[in-house]
Amino acid sequence: MKCRECIEHLYEYLDREVTPALEVEIREHLAHCPPCGDKFDFESAFKKFLQIKARTQGCPPELKQKILRELFNE
Amino acid sequence: MPAPKPTPPPTTPPAPTDARRAGFEKEALVHLDSLYRVALRLAGNAADADDLVQETMLKAYRSWDQYQPGTNAKGWLLTILRNSFINEYRRRTRHPETVDVDTIEPFAVFEDVQEDDPQGAFFDRIVDDEVLRAIDGLPEAFRETVVLSDVEGMSYQEIGKILNIPVGTVKSRLFRARQMLQAKLYDYAVGMGYIKGRPA
Repeated sequence: MKCRECIEHLYEYLDREVTPALEVEIREHLAHCPPCGDKFDFESAFKKFLQIKARTQGCPPELKQKILRELFNE
Repeated sequence: MPAPKPTPPPTTPPAPTDARRAGFEKEALVHLDSLYRVALRLAGNAADADDLVQETMLKAYRSWDQYQPGTNAKGWLLTILRNSFINEYRRRTRHPETVDVDTIEPFAVFEDVQEDDPQGAFFDRIVDDEVLRAIDGLPEAFRETVVLSDVEGMSYQEIGKILNIPVGTVKSRLFRARQMLQAKLYDYAVGMGYIKGRPA
């Protein structure tokens, strides 16, 4: 696999959206190509960062109570 | 006189409403946090997000019979939520659409930081509120795509179904959205002195 092809599918690989065959090819390329490997690490860190920072909020308990009351007349 | 045989306690099957409620609690109510987060990012304010989630749950419970148990409840609920948003809220919410899509210069942040901070450690110093602000500044089409993918962990196919767009469009929006977010947060981090800026 060439770097260009690897980078083209990097997000799909990161999102686990590639076919098993392509996944193997990309994984092998990343293991042997430091520049692509670094780029992958960076993108992967960014995805985790977004997940953590933007998931701290949840449904406020008062809203949940209100919804339960409306749904089930409690 | 023989004692009357004790009558066994009547075994009543659970009332249909109880089963309906139990199913809804198990499959739908567990997604309240996700629905609320998506509602907040769509509506842009807590009051409308509250109404939107409440309305979504009422609609969902009313049409719960149309839902196939064990299928994708989260996707089903998010579709209801987004349709409600488009039909009833989008017109009147004033989402702070601060960024014009054409004014963002998407660039690969990695190219700039690969020498000083290739792991992107500077991102970790950015507080939650700033990240949410950056997401809220994205144009709606990009914002909803990146939230469903990166924050809520939906697959390309699920996102395509919720947003009613082809998977190829999900991919391209996601690519642009991530680049815009990285560029925005990078600029913020440079401004805060978390990382050296790129040479002008």
